[in-house]
Amino acid sequence: MNKNLLLVFLLFSLSNLFAADHQWVLKQSTLTYHVSHPLHQTDGVSHAARGKGVCHEGQCDFLIAVPVKSFDSGDSNRDLHMIQVTRGAEFPMVTVRTRLPESASGSATIKADLEIQFAGQTAHYNQVPFEVGSQGNEKKITGTIPTSLTDFKIDPPSLLTLPVKNEIPVHVEMIWTPQ
Amino acid sequence: MHSKTAKLFFVVVLFFVLTANSLCAQDAQSVLSGTVTDSAGKVVPNAKITVRNLSTGQSTETQSDSSGLYSVANLAAGDYEISASSEGMSGQPAKVTLTNGVPQTLTLVLTSAARQQSPASTPPPSENLPNAPSSSQTAPSLADLGFSKSETQSNAAQQALLDKRTHMLKIHQRMGLITTIPMVASVITSLNAGGRSEGTASRDLHVALGALTGDLYGITAYYAIRAPKIPGTETRGPIRFHKAMAWIHGPGMILTPILGAMAFSQKNNGEKVHGLAAAHGPVAIVTAGAFGAALLSVSLKF
Repeated sequence: MNKNLLLVFLLFSLSNLFAADHQWVLKQSTLTYHVSHPLHQTDGVSHAARGKGVCHEGQCDFLIAVPVKSFDSGDSNRDLHMIQVTRGAEFPMVTVRTRLPESASGSATIKADLEIQFAGQTAHYNQVPFEVGSQGNEKKITGTIPTSLTDFKIDPPSLLTLPVKNEIPVHVEMIWTPQ
Repeated sequence: MHSKTAKLFFVVVLFFVLTANSLCAQDAQSVLSGTVTDSAGKVVPNAKITVRNLSTGQSTETQSDSSGLYSVANLAAGDYEISASSEGMSGQPAKVTLTNGVPQTLTLVLTSAARQQSPASTPPPSENLPNAPSSSQTAPSLADLGFSKSETQSNAAQQALLDKRTHMLKIHQRMGLITTIPMVASVITSLNAGGRSEGTASRDLHVALGALTGDLYGITAYYAIRAPKIPGTETRGPIRFHKAMAWIHGPGMILTPILGAMAFSQKNNGEKVHGLAAAHGPVAIVTAGAFGAALLSVSLKF
């Protein structure tokens, strides 16, 4: 009997080992891409990102995802064209994954290695700096990801036969709340 | 009796633990989906797709639907080899790594036997980065974020529609730029084509340029009108002004040559241009102005 109880206890303990210590949830976000063209400077904004961070044994795995269609540049024709060139109907989500030490939430700046899946491609960005601010329990993360069109094998869209610049930096503002 | 109760309790607890683990395992299984296309980007329906787990050797087969889409559900995490073939087309197998619960998209491009299948896939996470994304069981998946299926599902048909739209609007844009050349030339030659001038050469040149402008404008308009509409898209921003201008330069491009023909006839008869025909010049100027404004509205930010 005691052996049986011990076995049950061990099974439960093993299950708990895989359980997360705590989690972070993305409460609010503003993602802004910037496109430069000889005749235009355009920003596309999305507030539709969702994210979650799961912490376990001092490490937190974060996933942030945003629908490609949710970016609004103020012009429906341009937005449709952006969805087309980025193959947004075929690959409708942009996902960002990173792993950070739990202690990073106490720092003023963090440097994250990002894995971004977009337009059917995956690109890695090493040591991207972000500023961390505190608002009570919540953490405000701001920074710019130095993305480019060639990273995702996207042909540069053109206007009046002039292509846009390859660099499409994405400015990120996020508020994370612990759960 | 006491021992029997304890054994029963143990069996019940064990059952629940195992059932819970099994349920979790089902949730964590992945879906592999995507599109089968040929090298020109055209979807390939009814292609045979074989998904083979490299560690177990177990294979799953499916077929692409009429839109070239395929989907294989309930795949356990691991390395897979995906091959596809269709009548007269084939390709080399592609490899993907599936992680627990993370849906993967893989576009399979079939070519003639001599060419290779190129997967537009998402490679497995890099493991050599100091704080690279984890492949641990605790890492969140896309399914954890609560997006609806319509938001996350690949839509090859809509992508094809967008591709066609962009292709047609690119031609529209280029033709619009080309049209401005004879249009400006028509306006310039109009100075010598009417009024007190008695010569016919400059008038003929003006007519020829006007006719060329009309033809090119017709082609330009065709590609804008026939470009596919994307359902559920509300027109916003400068493109609204661009479209509104079409209601001025469109009728203007019909009216201008009619009035021009009347003026041409009157002039050839030795008459002074009079009546409705006298509106040819002002209508042409308004038309060219609206055309120019439409062009600028999508070229410059104001």
